[in-house]
Amino acid sequence: MNVLLISAILGVVMMFSSFLIKNTATVRTIGITGTIALLILNVLEMYGTRLFNINTAGFLSFDRFTLVFISIAIIAMLVYFLLTAKDMEKVNKVNYAEYFALLFFILCGIVLVSGFESLLILFLGIEIVSIPLYVLTGSDKRNLKSNEAALKYFLMGCFSTGLMLMGITLIYGAQGTFTVELFNFTKNIDSPLAIAGMLLLLFSMAFKASVAPLHFWTPDVYDGAPTVFTSFMATIVKAAVFFSFFRLFNDSFTALAPQWQFWMAVLAALTLFIGNITAVFQHSVKRMLAYSSIAQAGFMLLAIFAMSGIAKEGLLLYAAAYSFASIGIFSVLTKMDDYTFDGFNGLVKQQPLVAAAITIFILSLAGIPLTAGFLAKFYMIQAVIQAGGHLWLAIFALVMAAVSVYYYFRVIQAMYFKQGNANIQASNTFKYTLLAVAILVVLLGIFPNLITNWLYF
Amino acid sequence: MSVTQILFWFLSILALFGAIMVVVSRNPVHSVLWLIMTFFAISGHYIVLNAQFLAVVNIIVYAGAIMVLFLFVIMLMNLNKTAAPKRNRWLKLAGGIAGGCLMLVLVAALRDSELKGQFAQVNTGDIGLIKSLGKELFTTYVIPFELSSILFLSAMVGAVVLGKKD
Repeated sequence: MNVLLISAILGVVMMFSSFLIKNTATVRTIGITGTIALLILNVLEMYGTRLFNINTAGFLSFDRFTLVFISIAIIAMLVYFLLTAKDMEKVNKVNYAEYFALLFFILCGIVLVSGFESLLILFLGIEIVSIPLYVLTGSDKRNLKSNEAALKYFLMGCFSTGLMLMGITLIYGAQGTFTVELFNFTKNIDSPLAIAGMLLLLFSMAFKASVAPLHFWTPDVYDGAPTVFTSFMATIVKAAVFFSFFRLFNDSFTALAPQWQFWMAVLAALTLFIGNITAVFQHSVKRMLAYSSIAQAGFMLLAIFAMSGIAKEGLLLYAAAYSFASIGIFSVLTKMDDYTFDGFNGLVKQQPLVAAAITIFILSLAGIPLTAGFLAKFYMIQAVIQAGGHLWLAIFALVMAAVSVYYYFRVIQAMYFKQGNANIQASNTFKYTLLAVAILVVLLGIFPNLITNWLYF
Repeated sequence: MSVTQILFWFLSILALFGAIMVVVSRNPVHSVLWLIMTFFAISGHYIVLNAQFLAVVNIIVYAGAIMVLFLFVIMLMNLNKTAAPKRNRWLKLAGGIAGGCLMLVLVAALRDSELKGQFAQVNTGDIGLIKSLGKELFTTYVIPFELSSILFLSAMVGAVVLGKKD
């Protein structure tokens, strides 16, 4: 609750600073300070300090699980600001403060979708997340590709929102309430209204999370959007959508699990397959990362499929590991001119520190031991095996993780073993922040308790 | 058949026919006009359910404001002639089959839903009246109502970002 309101206020502050403050450095400082304040407020809320006393029963609830996730999202946002906030100037200097405002509004949406107790709030949250994203996708107004991506994203997004509304309506018809706690599917488990609604919600959430048969917008949109904003929507927003996906199907539709669990497994397998296999054939690193985000979505789906305590911990770890590593790679990519694999040729000679950090991020995304990505994948597969009955899914996920090594390692190969003179303009602050994030990724790989203990203490 | 039932069937057929014509019409301006008719038919449904406020809001917002916006866009893009590009026949067929399948499944599933036989409160319900609507909105649903302000604010900032001159 603290974060929701303060983040909305920060958005308004940013709105005003767009015409009151001309200096971009000041705007950036306000944004970063605000994010740190949000993090402190959220941690305080975890230990019982609430700034506002509002009765949100039946609409929003913030338990430990949700608050830990929100903390991860805020930390990821802080990392994002520290690494790439400067590059937002390149998109358009005039609208610099507005971009911050939109990002803070998206954070409000993230809080809503992760703490929803009522389908109404879920819908509002998804919309608050999506609408600023449509704008950010098209923020590079002179670039035709960006325009195309924004229009495509907007039209497809509206369509899936329509599906979601229809689903919510049908569930309301079956249950007579929007509140998740009051749902009672056990009475008649094969009620056609509830199942049709649940399926429509499944499809619309799968669209928002770019799960396989509904992933076609993802590469075009991620490729067309300015790289700074691709970084945000491929990581923090995606993790948040997955979190709400998880909560929707594990808390709200638990009783309907026999109806959806098998199909969730099929969706996960399909997503893993399409994401990984298509990523192999990409020439642009940005597009490869778009497909890799689909592939990682397949892994996160495993948590929704497994429905257990380990899946919960795994999802948090996965969100952190995936977000930090991807934001790191994207932050380097925004500073590059050439987005192909060849653009990375020989980076190690010019920027050994940056190359080392990228290597750690890539190892984490590919799931190599001693990095956060390995343990995240480990938790997911363990959860699937414990859920029982679907060993094929665990084996398939492992095989697909092995495939992913091929396209991830092409970046490392380009940096270390190919001749070239790739270079980026990187300040010392940037380099050391990047290194700190890389160390964080390794630390999470050695001590996952840093996150999971938050759930209990 | 009572008058209400006759009205219901008339309005339903009108709404469905209008909606189909929106899709089928080649001229975009005709599409918009058919869409206006669909909105009026739906407003008629609201009146049958004794929800006058919703009916009026539907006409003012959708048939009024949004449709005018549509017409403006069509005017600005100069789409008054049949400018629609020729679509691939296979694409049309695939779309038809996919949409038809969805309709078939939904109709088959909802045909024997548990709400069968429970009729809507015709003429007597007070859910759609402005008094009860306002009361619900500002008591039970006050939190979503307030939160939607964030949505509108972000949409406004977005419009400024996209519309501002560089």
